[in-house]
Parts: sequence; structure tokens; C-alpha cells
Amino acid sequence: MIKNYFKIAWRNLLKQKGLSFINVFGLSIGLACFSLFLLYAVNEFSFDRFHQNRNNVFRVVRWNKAIGNRPEGGDSYMPIPLGPAMKNDLPGVVNFVRLREGWGESFVKVNNSTIPLDVMFVDPQFFDVFSFKILMGDKHTALKDLRSIVITEDIAKKLFGETNVVGRVVEIKGDKTFEPFTITAVAENPPANSTISFKILANWAFMESNTETGKRNSTRWTASGYQTYVQLQAGSGLPNDAATLAAFRKKYYPNEAEELKKRAMWSGSESPISYRLQSISDMHTNRTIEGGLMPPISPKNIWILLAIAAGVLIIACINFTTLAIGRSASRAKEIGIRKVIGSDKRQLVAQFLIEALVLSGISAVIGFILAQLLLPYFNTLSGRELVFSYQQYPEMAWMMAGLVVLVGLLAGTYPALILSNFKPLEVLKSKVRVAGANLFTKSLVTVQFILSIGLIISTVVILQQIHFMQNQNPGFNKENIVMVNAESIDAKRIFPLFKQQMLAQPSVKAVAGTDIGLGAGSGWSVMDFEYEGKSKSVYEYSIDADYIPLMSMEMKAGRNFDAKIASDTITSVIVNEALVKDFGWTIENAVGRALKGYDEKFSPIVIGVVKDFNFRPLRESLKPQLFHQFPGSAPFKYFVKIEAGNPSATLAAMQKTWTSLEPNLPFQYDFLDESLNQFYKAESRLGNIIGWAGSISIFLACLGLFGLAALSTVNRTKEIGIRKVLGASASHITTLLSKDFLKLVLIAIAIASPIAWWLMHKWLQDFAFRISVEWWVFVFVGFIALLIALFTVSFQAIKSALANPVKSLRME
Amino acid sequence: MLLNLKNIYKWYNVGGNRTFILKDINFEVQEGEFISIMGPSGSGKSTLLNIIGMLDEPNEGTYNFLHENVFKLKEKQRAQLYKQYIGFVFQQYHLIDELTVYENIETPLIYQDVKTSERKALVADMLDRFNIVGKKDLFPNQLSGGQQQLVGIARALIAKPKLILADEPTGNLNSKQGEEIMQLFKQLNTEGVTIIQVTHSEKNAAYSSHIVNLLDGVIKR
Ligand SMILES: Nc1ncnc2c1ncn2[C@@H]1O[C@H](COP(=O)(O)OP(=O)(O)OP(=O)(O)O)[C@@H](O)[C@H]1O
Ligand SMILES: [Mg+2]
Repeated sequence: MIKNYFKIAWRNLLKQKGLSFINVFGLSIGLACFSLFLLYAVNEFSFDRFHQNRNNVFRVVRWNKAIGNRPEGGDSYMPIPLGPAMKNDLPGVVNFVRLREGWGESFVKVNNSTIPLDVMFVDPQFFDVFSFKILMGDKHTALKDLRSIVITEDIAKKLFGETNVVGRVVEIKGDKTFEPFTITAVAENPPANSTISFKILANWAFMESNTETGKRNSTRWTASGYQTYVQLQAGSGLPNDAATLAAFRKKYYPNEAEELKKRAMWSGSESPISYRLQSISDMHTNRTIEGGLMPPISPKNIWILLAIAAGVLIIACINFTTLAIGRSASRAKEIGIRKVIGSDKRQLVAQFLIEALVLSGISAVIGFILAQLLLPYFNTLSGRELVFSYQQYPEMAWMMAGLVVLVGLLAGTYPALILSNFKPLEVLKSKVRVAGANLFTKSLVTVQFILSIGLIISTVVILQQIHFMQNQNPGFNKENIVMVNAESIDAKRIFPLFKQQMLAQPSVKAVAGTDIGLGAGSGWSVMDFEYEGKSKSVYEYSIDADYIPLMSMEMKAGRNFDAKIASDTITSVIVNEALVKDFGWTIENAVGRALKGYDEKFSPIVIGVVKDFNFRPLRESLKPQLFHQFPGSAPFKYFVKIEAGNPSATLAAMQKTWTSLEPNLPFQYDFLDESLNQFYKAESRLGNIIGWAGSISIFLACLGLFGLAALSTVNRTKEIGIRKVLGASASHITTLLSKDFLKLVLIAIAIASPIAWWLMHKWLQDFAFRISVEWWVFVFVGFIALLIALFTVSFQAIKSALANPVKSLRME
Repeated sequence: MLLNLKNIYKWYNVGGNRTFILKDINFEVQEGEFISIMGPSGSGKSTLLNIIGMLDEPNEGTYNFLHENVFKLKEKQRAQLYKQYIGFVFQQYHLIDELTVYENIETPLIYQDVKTSERKALVADMLDRFNIVGKKDLFPNQLSGGQQQLVGIARALIAKPKLILADEPTGNLNSKQGEEIMQLFKQLNTEGVTIIQVTHSEKNAAYSSHIVNLLDGVIKR
């Protein structure tokens, strides 16, 4: 019997080629979309679960209660001695691994070419605690020697063109000079769902004994900048034992509470800072803890994305349902006969459901191929390196199978119930005339358009906001500025030489030095101090006298730094308007004020006020900020203002200058405007994703509308014929047939607009600088949607309006 | 006795008026009878046949089929009774356009959960008997009217019903084709199948053992 159902399903599919195409095509797209997002979600939720020791390995985090004006939160930056101390002092800690990650790029030299690459120092027990796979070499002896390194297969291929490279030697730049290291193992690339990721691993012991910072920090409890993981005995109660952890903290920071009290930041008797052990499976989804290179995500966002993808899929399912119902007129006779010759309802329901399942099965195959083809693009969109691997994501197998069944049932149930309920006598006497669209299908079509119009409105608003943020005047001129990265060189010594040689170029207008660049990935420096009994946080930048003119920043009061005035490099600071406001001054009386409490030894004096400028993303409000030229900071970023136009000649000259000054290290630079745009990568990504979802869903909705219009035209062939014989014009017929559908689109616009407005209004609240949602967006999107729908529907309507009426009447 | 109808009334409410289609029908059929129902257009013949065939229900009255009170049965039991004992033949043939001749004939057996091998044998017998083996893979629209009606009858017979109900089975056929169908009915009747047909043709009625005249919803003897 089942076989028979399949046979009939297949034949129906072939018989109704147009409709089947619409259904299969739509469902394939929906399934492709959804499976990509499902893969993404599964990947996000499976983060770090591949470690065999996942239940016993914890990341040590420092948890701060709200101190001063800083909110409660945690971070995972630990001092070097913490790991060994924990193993020594705390029962249950059997092993620890420290990671020095995210300390910027090192330079790796192979065959005389130098490449900037991340080198991560880790304790040799790294491979015992974590389950990263080794391809070549022995994981127990890898990293045993001081100068041994492990590289990933990608890096092996990049450096040597092959993976069989154990025993080879590469040179890595230490503090000053290049030193040889031996490759002891080649590791598989860390999977896409790993928080810890690496390219080159080097021995922690080398870092502690052979680098300046390592030597300096190796016993310091106040230099936090390293990740520490501990492995506990199975079943250890330590993660929940706050008392033991507090005692441990107190042992190494005995006077913490008192010191904070002295700085007026804390009034309790117990320290507000404590150690916690964070389960590694919690790392990727817990946004309250800072630290690590892979930023945690909010599960809410994943669910939102999944919901959007599900929306697209549902639109495709709705197509199936509405078309099946629309087609029911032509199937009514078949159903009637089947009932008369002995089929009961159950068997008919089964038959129609199997038809739907066959269809969703075929669509799944096509959709899956489509998803595979789209994966590389999706990866750039999502910023992940995903693969459809059932080994890595075993749950994907049953999820996909379940999805196919679910989609089949979702799409097929309603039509199956409707169709199987037909009374045989009535359909055989053709009393029931099932119209192309009943109230239910009309509502479904409306839902489709609500979803797609809502998505498109959201896209427009998001794009507007991004455009606004990228083009809003940040308070300085960001055009034609090259930021040269001098972090790895002797920046202070080289800067004057570089500046002098560059200024000799006619295309270079100005050169300035600063310790921190601007834009995404530049980092920041915040100074906390107590001013007149209140705790203050101030963003600081070390600059030189050329910086403010180079950036075309505007002075509101006072003056810029002057290279001739000696005190300018010792006590003078320039502050922004936000600081003036925060400190309770006015622009007029700010100059000459002292920032008391800033430092124990001296109080900086304000010499000027600069107009507020957006040194942080426009998401954030303007914060108090100051410029200084204090000794002790170095110009790690060289800002070079060049002439507008093609920069390649100037860049080549810059490269040449760089090489003449620093022959060992490559020339690295960014354009300031591009770096600033990078601030909005997350928003761009969201805009992209929602834009795609919106386009796909409106396409699918129109596909369904197209089919439905075709069916309703077929169902009304006789009526149209009679009307034409009676003298109706083609435009009259077109209007007659299109009107009903366009009404649905109008209703959808009316419902989608307020919902989209509310959602976007909420989304925009996260931005300190934001656009307001304009009414014309709704009119514009609504108009476009209407136009597309009109085009879709009238295509069918015009076709039938132009057909010969005699033909259609004879057919009846 | 195969079936009997007692005090059957069927009416429609049209514009506030009750229009009677069938008025106090009392009717009994013995096994092995061949009955023709005749009467003018609109007299309620099809309605009566559909009630007998359990496709329609009267507003009043009782109906016994093989000593079961049909309208007291649960939907499922009635469907079972119907599947097992009744076959329908229509004026418009009502074959399933998507299925081949073979599959059309086979379908009732599928609904009765007959095993594949058994189905094959039964359908093959039927094709053989009606001399349409050569047409078994054709679709209905590739057949003539007479051939389609043969398939319709074959389909009605495949599950070995006790009763065949035929609503103007020859209405769309020419007289020669009509005659063949009637011969077939006669033949089936002699094999023990009870037949009730609605017909306008005296000639066709002559094949039957018994004629029931329906006039304005009342049986005239
Ligand atoms: N739903 C309905 N509402 C009102 N009247 C109906 C309805 N269905 C059928 N009738 C009426 O019932 C009467 C009997 O119809 P039926 O089909 O039984 O006639 P018939 O004897 O088979 O006629 P014919 O020989 O033309 O096939 C007709 O007058 C018809 O108008
Ligand atoms: Mg009739």
C-alpha cells in the first residue's frame, strides 16, 4: 500500500510540473537556508564540548562586584603564578594550563621570508587537558623542550607547502632577535566550535625564562594577562565551594578590601573580587565574562537567527499548503471516486501526507546540495569556518531527518485534512467548488507577506543605521589617513626618522605618533582615579603636537600641545567636552584646572578642550577622554596623512622607508576610515543576514502567489470566458483577478509596519547615536512589495485576459 | 433478503419551503434480483440509489442491509459493510485520471488491504474476463467511452460485491456499447450478483427481472 502511495505521489508530481517546481524549488531554498542556520546554531551551542575532559576542565575567572562606576562582571585575565598556586593549594586541582593568547602577532621567518603570525605560549600539558588532535608527532612529548613548537596543518601548508614537517626549524622573533624553534608536532586545525584557537603553540617555559615580560611577570600577582585553565578531579566540589576560593584569593591578595576602601571604591569588609571556576562549556555563551580571543555570543541572538530562518522555511511550507488547497478543485473528483470505491479518510490522509513527504524529501536533497554550495558564502557572512560534518555535529543527522518529516507534515497536514473531508457525492456532482483561495489560504498568504515585509523594513532600517554610523562626522577627518603599526619595533627611536623621511615626500601632508590607534581592534586605555571624592574613568591617548591638526580636530578652548613648551610633555593634558561635563566644569573655566587624584606624584593641568569626537563606536555614548604626552608611552601607531587620490605610490614609498629603517619586519598598516568601519562589522553582518532572509522570503512569497494566481485563474476559466463573451475588457479581467491578492498584500503591510517599527525601535535603543525610524521607509517598502506582488499576479491575469474565451468555454 | 428500506423520506429546505424528493419509500430487494429504477428526470432516482449505496442519508426512515440497521452503525462499520458488499458504476465512469487501467481496477483491493500477489491475480483475472488485457497500461483518457465503462464495471466487481449499483451506466454510450454492458450485467446476475440500475431506456430495463417506477418521489407499482 505504501508503495502504491509513493507511486501516485510521484506521478502527481510529474503531472503538475509547474506547481511541483514551485513547491520543490521553494522548499529547497527554505531548507537550504534553514540547514545553514541550523548548522550555525548547532556549532555555536556545541562550543568546547568536544573536549573529553569537558566536565572537569574549568577556566579560572575573576569576578568583580560593582566597584565604583564599573558594573558587576568577570574577566579571565590571570597572573602567571595563579595556575601553579591553585594546583598546589587547592585539593581537587590535578592539572593546569596557562595560555598567553592575543598578545599580538609575532614574526615567523622561514626560508628568509617573514610572516606575521600569532604565537600562543602554553604549558606543555595543553594536549593532556584539551582534546586537540595531533596529526604528526607525539602529543606527550610535544612542547617538552624549551624551543619546541606545534603548528597547525594550515600553517604547515602555508609555511612549507606540506604537513610532514616535524623536526624542521623556523625562526620566531623574541623580544629583540629571531631565535630558532623546532617543530615537534603538527596539530589538526582547531575545530570551528572551539573557543581556544591557535596557529602556533610554543612552550610556556620559554616565555617565562626568555622574554622580558615573562621574566618580569613570572612571580607577580598584579600582572594579569594570561588565561588559566584547571583540570579537577572527577566529582570535585571546588567550583561551588565559594569559601575555599575566597580563602585562596585572600591568601594572595590579603589587603584587597582595605586598599579599595582607601580609594573610595568599596565599603564592604570582604573583598568584592573573587575567583570563580567557569565550566568550559559555558565559555561561549556567557557574555558577563570578558577575555579570550573568541568573543562569546548571546544565545538570544542565535535563537533570533534561527527564528528568522524558520520564518523563511515556514513561508516555503505555506506555499505548499496554499497551492495544495488551491489545486484541490482539480483533485476533488479523484478524492470522491476514491471514497466511493472504498477508501476511508485515514487512507486518504496518509496518501496526501506521503505526497507532501515525497516532496519535502526531494526538496531536502536539492536543498542540501544548495546549502553545500552556499556554505563558503555563508561562512564569510557568519564569520565561522563551518563544515557539514556529521562526525563533528552528530546531532545534525537526526535534526535534518526530523526536519524533512516536520516540513512534510507541516506543509501536508492541512491540505490532507481538508481534501480527505470532501463528501464524495457532493464533489462528484461538482457541488463543492473549492475556490483558489479560501479564508485560510488567504490568511497564510498574508502571513507570508507580513514576514517578508517585516524583514525588509528591518533591513532598510539596519542599513540606514550602519550608513549613518559610517558617515556621521566623528569629530575628525578620517579620510586619507594611514595608520602604520609599529607595535613590534623600537617605536620611539624609529618614529622621528620615519617622520622625517616621510615628510620629504610631497604626497605626505603630516605625520603624528600615538600609542593607540582608532577603530576596531585598536584597543583602549582607561584610567580610573578619584577626583574630589568621586571615582572617575577616563579614556587616555598619548599623542604628540601634530596629532590634533592632522586629524582636523577642533579646539573648543585653550591650545594644542606645543613642542617648544617643556611642561607640555610632563603635566599638560587636553580633555574633551564630555570630561569637562563629567567633572562639573564649563568649557570657559576648564583650562588651567588640575586633575587631582590622577597620580600620587603629580596633578595634570588642562591646557585645552577638544570638541567631542567618537573614538569609540557610535553604539557607545561619548565618554570622558584626555590626551597627554607623558613620558613612558611610545608612538606605537604612526598616523600619516596623505594626499587624496590613489595611495599606492605613497604606500610604496612608505614601505621603502620602513624597510630601510626596520629591514627585519614587514610593513603593516591600515586605513583609518576602514578601521572605523570595522566597528560596525556585527551590524553589517546582521543587516546582511536579515537582508538575505528578507529577499528570499519575498521571493518565496511571490512564488507562492504566482502559483496561487495561476490556480485561481484556472478555477475561474469558465467565469472569465463568460465575462469576456459578455464584453469585459482585458484590463477589467486583470483587475478582477489581481484585486483580491493585492488586498492581502495591503493588509500585510498594515500589520507588518507597526511590528517592524517596534522591533527596530527596540534594536536602535542599543545605540547611543541613532537614526529615528522614518515613515517613508514603510511607504517605500510597502510600495515595492505591492509592485512585486502586482507584477507577479498580473502576469497570470493578463495571460488569461488575453486568451480566447471560446476555447475556455468549450473545455468545460 | 439482501436489503430493505422502510418509510424513507428525503427533503430539502429551499427558500423556507420543504421540498420532498423521496416520500415514504418502502422497498425490498432479494439476493439475486436485477432491478431497474425508472422515472422522469428529477423524480429522485439517483437520490434513492445513493441512499441504497450509503453515499447519502435520508431524513427519516430505516435501512437494513444484510440484517444490519445501516443508520445505527458507526461510520467505520458502515464503511466496512460498504467496502465489502457494494460496487458502484457511474454514468460518467469516474475513473481516476492519474491511474492506469490496471491501477484503477486494483485500487479497491488496496483499500481492503489485499496482499500484492493476490491483487495481481485478481486484477489479471478481471482484465482477462473483460478482454482488456492489452489496455492495462493505458490511462483513462486513452480509452473510448465504452472501454472506460468496462473498466468502471471491472473496478466495481473486483472486490466481489454482492450488490452492484449503476446510475445510468449506458447514458453516455451508443446503443451497441450499451447493449454489451447490459449483456454483461445479465451475465453477472446469473452468476448471483444483485444489480440495481437506474435507466431511462425501456430496452435496458427489459434485461432486468423487476422494474420500479418512481414518480415525484413515490414508488408506483
Ligand atoms: N441540494 C439540493 N437542494 C435542493 N434540491 C435538490 C438538491 N439535490 C437534489 N435536489 C433535487 O432533488 C430532485 C431529485 O434529484 P435526483 O438527482 O435524484 O433526480 P433523478 O431522478 O436522478 O433525475 P435524472 O433522471 O435527471 O438524473 C431533483 O428535483 C433535484 O432538483
Ligand atoms: Mg439521476
